[in-house]
Amino acid sequence: MTAADIALSLRTAQETGQPIAPIRDLLPAGDLDAAYAVQDANTAHWIDAGRRLVGRKIGLTSVAVQKQLGVDQPDYGMLFADMELLDGAEIAAGRLIQPKGEAEVAFVLERDLPRPDSTFTEVLGAVAYALPAIEVVDSRIAAWDIRILDTIADNASSGLYALGSTPVAIDRFDLRLCGMVMEKNGEPVSFGAGAACLGNPLNALVWLARRMAAVGRPLAAGDVVLSGALGPMVAFGPGDRLEARINGLGSVRVACAA
Amino acid sequence: MPELASIAARLDEAAVTARAVAQLPEPLSLDNAYAVQAALLQCRYDRGERRIGVKMGFTSRAKMAQMGVDEMIWGRLTDGMLVEDGGDIDIARYVHPRAEPEIAFLLKAPLAGKVSMTEAMAAVAAVAPAIEIIDSRYENFRFSLTDVVADNSSSSGVVLGPWCDPATDVANLGMVVEIDGRPALIGSSAAILGHPARSLVAAARLVALRGERLEAGDIVLAGAATAAEALKPGQRLRLSVERLGAVGFRTRMG
Repeated sequence: MTAADIALSLRTAQETGQPIAPIRDLLPAGDLDAAYAVQDANTAHWIDAGRRLVGRKIGLTSVAVQKQLGVDQPDYGMLFADMELLDGAEIAAGRLIQPKGEAEVAFVLERDLPRPDSTFTEVLGAVAYALPAIEVVDSRIAAWDIRILDTIADNASSGLYALGSTPVAIDRFDLRLCGMVMEKNGEPVSFGAGAACLGNPLNALVWLARRMAAVGRPLAAGDVVLSGALGPMVAFGPGDRLEARINGLGSVRVACAA
Repeated sequence: MPELASIAARLDEAAVTARAVAQLPEPLSLDNAYAVQAALLQCRYDRGERRIGVKMGFTSRAKMAQMGVDEMIWGRLTDGMLVEDGGDIDIARYVHPRAEPEIAFLLKAPLAGKVSMTEAMAAVAAVAPAIEIIDSRYENFRFSLTDVVADNSSSSGVVLGPWCDPATDVANLGMVVEIDGRPALIGSSAAILGHPARSLVAAARLVALRGERLEAGDIVLAGAATAAEALKPGQRLRLSVERLGAVGFRTRMG
């Protein structure tokens, strides 16, 4: 199977809502580039089809999760305009296969970051503001039976995302120590802090900026970046409602239609 | 009751000699478990230790579910349990110590019985980041609800950080424990009953059930924000709490 074939089967799974078996064994073992080639094939397909690229997500930003998957770096996926949900929006039944929510810090950029060696201060200076976010991840692989190659090929298991509504400058809250709590149907179920994302969500952003410049899809002014989970992900389904609060940054909600 | 006194004496000896004992052969009632705890603390007071406050346990839904209970537990703190911020502890003096990141309240007025969150917070003189060193006197850290209550709810040591403005919003503070400089535990104060002040409200209610009250000058440890981390010799622990600062200690053997 070529990268294009694997990309097509993932795309079909997404369009039909029918998950597929893991695709990792169709790729050379440990070949992250081959998995990104699959992701890239779908990105190119979707851009040709008219989907608008508006940002990126960073995954595997927890050291514990990296160890679990046997990798020593995060991964990334593409965010398209049609993946955005408004604060409090309901996700239509059947739109996703097996959604889970993650509370994250989202960064919105006001400058391009074209260099593969962008420095920390250059990245800092490119951030317009931060927003709280719930990333609704999803997997086109049945029962979330994923390894690193599966998730990279599958657009880093991205689904949809919702952003809070009050922009906060990044010097107005403690990015490393900001507390995070996510409630499911009013019950607090996931807890964390900024440090859970590579020690500081900005570290993840720096990694992404360099990586995106190196692979030819550099971050640009206006891009939204979901920087990575601040605590454990939470599965949710029909009728469930998630609310995430990040200290100093505000809150954001999503729901699944009953 | 002599039997309860002998259980207390056995648990006290286990703490003093740092040697674990078997779980209690017969289950105690909750009343008797707290009676054993009171007798156990009397052993400490008789040695010259002084009560300085209380600690709350089972303050997360996950922990309550794990233990199959729907109520919190509490234990007494004494001055003998205080560890200086930046100080060190001798691991050999504990059975199998673990550390938990917590929020501590210092009271400026008494609290007892049913109090509102507003009343509870009005009695708070200051809040601090704190690390509780818990140590079960039971083998393998295994116990029933009443076993652990009898064992003073595993209280063992308290490291208090800087006292901060009581008006600080403590609802959702990020908490990071680093061991030898590496992040080991990451959480939020929201894991403590959704808000640590709820634990203070519960403390006032629960001590009153045993005919006691929280006093001005008391320290109340609100409960753990994350799972506990087992301690080994030669470690440096440091808890950083958003807005409240940091507290830490080292471990040594002997």
